[in-house]
Amino acid sequence: MNNSILLKIENLKVWFEIRKNILTPPMYVKAVDGISFDLKKGESISLVGESGSGKTTLGRTILRLYEPTDGNIIFEDKDITKLDFKSLSWYRKETGFIQQDPFGALAPHFTIYKILEEPLLINKIGTPAERRDMILKALEEVKLTPVSDFIGKYPHMLSGGQMQRVVIARALIMRPKLVIADEPVSMLDASVRIEILDLLRDLQEKHHMSMIYITHDLATVRAFTNWIFIMYAGNLVERAKTEELIENPLHPYTKALLEAIPDPDPENRRRMRKVPEGEPPNLINPPTGCRFHPRCQYVMDICKEAIPEDIEVEKEHWVRCWLYSKG
Amino acid sequence: MREKETVLRLNNFSLTYKTQKGPLQAVRNVSFELKEGETLAIVGESGCGKSSLARGILRLFPRNLEKVSGEIYMDGQEVLSMKEEDFRKNVRWTKISMVFQGAMNSLNPILKTIQQISEPLIIHMGMDKISAYNRAKELLSLVGIPESFAERYPFELSGGMKQRVVIAMALVTHPKVVILDEPTSALDVITQANIMNLLKLLKKELNLSYIFITHDIATASELADNIAVMYAGEIVEISPSEVFYSKPAHGYTMMLLDSVPTLKTTKKLKSIPGSPPSLINPPTGCRFHPRCQYVMDICKKKEPPMFQKGENHYAKCYIGESHE
Ligand SMILES: Nc1ncnc2c1ncn2[C@@H]1O[C@H](COP(=O)(O)OP(=O)(O)OP(=O)(O)O)[C@@H](O)[C@H]1O
Ligand SMILES: Nc1ncnc2c1ncn2[C@@H]1O[C@H](COP(=O)(O)OP(=O)(O)OP(=O)(O)O)[C@@H](O)[C@H]1O
Ligand SMILES: [Mg+2]
Ligand SMILES: [Mg+2]
Repeated sequence: MNNSILLKIENLKVWFEIRKNILTPPMYVKAVDGISFDLKKGESISLVGESGSGKTTLGRTILRLYEPTDGNIIFEDKDITKLDFKSLSWYRKETGFIQQDPFGALAPHFTIYKILEEPLLINKIGTPAERRDMILKALEEVKLTPVSDFIGKYPHMLSGGQMQRVVIARALIMRPKLVIADEPVSMLDASVRIEILDLLRDLQEKHHMSMIYITHDLATVRAFTNWIFIMYAGNLVERAKTEELIENPLHPYTKALLEAIPDPDPENRRRMRKVPEGEPPNLINPPTGCRFHPRCQYVMDICKEAIPEDIEVEKEHWVRCWLYSKG
Repeated sequence: MREKETVLRLNNFSLTYKTQKGPLQAVRNVSFELKEGETLAIVGESGCGKSSLARGILRLFPRNLEKVSGEIYMDGQEVLSMKEEDFRKNVRWTKISMVFQGAMNSLNPILKTIQQISEPLIIHMGMDKISAYNRAKELLSLVGIPESFAERYPFELSGGMKQRVVIAMALVTHPKVVILDEPTSALDVITQANIMNLLKLLKKELNLSYIFITHDIATASELADNIAVMYAGEIVEISPSEVFYSKPAHGYTMMLLDSVPTLKTTKKLKSIPGSPPSLINPPTGCRFHPRCQYVMDICKKKEPPMFQKGENHYAKCYIGESHE
C-alpha cells in the first residue's frame, strides 16, 4: 500500500461576504476558519459535525467549487488553490462529488440514463455500446434494479433514496481518485446504508480511492472509514482514528454528540433526550476563545478568552480543548 | 378513562402510477387506525411507498396517477370520495397536514420566516395578512424560534431552525393529524434530538396525532406508540412499539432489526441481501420471499394473509403459523 499524501489542506479559510445593503461595510460568515489536515492515498475520513458547522463548505472548497479565502489546497503535490476554471478541468476528472441534497442535484428533464451518460460524453469516454455497459453496471452497483425499470425514468419519478443512489452512481462512474460524499445515504434505511457504504468502501479499496465522507451518522461510520474528524463552527475540534475516537472521545462536544445518538428503545418516547441546549454559534461574530464555550458544561475562564491550540494528546489523536492543554 | 377517539382510518388504500413499463403499484391495500394523541411510525426501505402513502392520504397525486382506491376516514367521515373542492376547504391542512420530505431545503428563499409560516394560512385558507401574521407569531414561540428570527431569510437559518419553520408551517392551520415525512434525516444527531424533543412536547401540548415516516428504526422509537413496517407497497407488520423491538413476527422485520447500527454494541451489521423488488412486476406469494432467510415453500406460492400474532399485533408472514 502506498502511503503517500494525496491531499494536503493548510490553514484553509472560507469566508462568505454578505452585505445588508451597499452602505454598510461587508460582514463575513466564517464558515471554514483555519483548517489543516492530510489525507493519504486510499484512506478515508468521516467528517462529522453539527448542521451549519461548515462541512459542505469545506468539501466544496476542496473540490474548488468554492473559492478559498486563505490557505492552501495541495493535490498530489500540485497547488490547486488558485487555479482558474480552465486549468481545473483535469482536477474535475480526478475528483467526484456526491452532493448533499439529491432533490436538487439531478437535471429534471434528463432521464437517468442521460444523467449518467453526461460525464462520460463530456470526457469523451467509450463508444456508445461501452458507455451503455458502464451505465448499466453503475446502476447495478448502487442497486437500482431491475436496471431497465429505471433508465428511462426522470428524477421526479424516483423516491428520495433512489435519487441519492443516482447521484452516487454519477459521482463514481469516472473512477475518481478523491471522492467527497456529502451525506450520501441520509435518506436510506440502515440495510441499504450498509450496502452502499460497503460498496463505497469496496470501490475505494479496489480503485485505491480516497474519500471524505460527510455525515452526522456516527453509529454507521464505525466500520467504514479510517479516521473521524469532528467539526464545530468552522474548526476541526478533534481528530483521531475511528475506534479511538468512539472509545475515547476527548472534546466535550464530541462526547455530547456520541450521547445524542438514539438506541432503539420503546421507552424513548416517554422521556426527553438530554442534549446541549442552544443554537450553533453565529459564524459572523463567533464566540471568543473556544467556540463551543457557551454550550460547554466544563467551561473555564480561559475558554472564553483564548483559542485552544491543536494538541496531539495521544499518538494520532488531536484535540482543541483547554481541558487537555498543559499550560 | 374516556376511550380515545380514532381520528384517521385507512381501509384497503391503494395507489398506482402510470409508467413507461406499465402500472406501478406504490401502495397496496394499506389499512390502519390512528387514535387521537397517538403516533404511528411507518418504517421501511427506500422506495417501498412511504411518501406515496403519505401524499396519497392528503390526496396529493402526481400527474401520472393511474388509479387510487380504498377508503380514508377522517373523524369518521370518508374523504377519499369527497369532492376536491370540499376536501381542500375542510380537510387538507385544516384537519391533516404534513411536513414534506426535504421541505427544509425547499423553503422559499425570498420569504422571511414569518412570511413563510403565515403562507399556508393565506394560500390555503384565504386568511388576511394581518391575522395570518398574528397567528404565525404564536407559532414562533411554540416551536422554539426566537422572535428575532422572524425577519430572517432561509439562508440565514441553521438546519434545525429551518426544520422548526417547516414544522410551524404544518401546525399553523390547527390540524389534528400531522404527517411527518423523514423530518430529521438531514439533521445532525444533536439537532435531531432537539427536534424530536420538540415534537414530543407539541404532541403533548396540542394532543396531536402523528404519522411519523422514517427509515431509521432507532429514531422511530423516539415517538412511536405503534409501528407499521412497509415493504413493496404493503404494510407487512403492525404492532405496539414494545412488541416491535422485542418480538418481531415478520421475516422482514427480523432482518431489518439485524441491520440497525447502535453505537454501544459492535455487533456485525447484516444488510438484507438482494435488492428491493420491482413494483411493476412484484414477486409472487410473499413479496419478501426472494430475500428472506426464513423462506418456506408456501411463501413462494401463496400470498400470506394478515395473521394476528398477539394483542394489536398483526403480520403478513407464515412464520409460526400452521399451514398445509
Ligand atoms: N453561499 C453562502 N453565503 C453565505 N453564507 C453561507 C453560504 N453557504 C453557506 N453559508 C453559511 O456557512 C455556514 C456553513 O454552512 P455549510 O453548508 O458548510 O454547513 P454544513 O456543516 O454542511 O451544514 P449541514 O449539516 O446543515 O449541511 C452556515 O452558517 C451557512 O449558513
Ligand atoms: N410519480 C411517479 N411515477 C412513477 N413512479 C413513482 C412516482 N413517484 C414514486 N414512484 C415510485 O414509487 C415507489 C415508491 O416511492 P415513494 O417515494 O413513495 O418511496 P419512499 O418509501 O418514500 O422512499 P424513500 O424512503 O426513498 O423516500 C418508488 O419505487 C418510486 O420509484
Ligand atoms: Mg452540508
Ligand atoms: Mg419518501
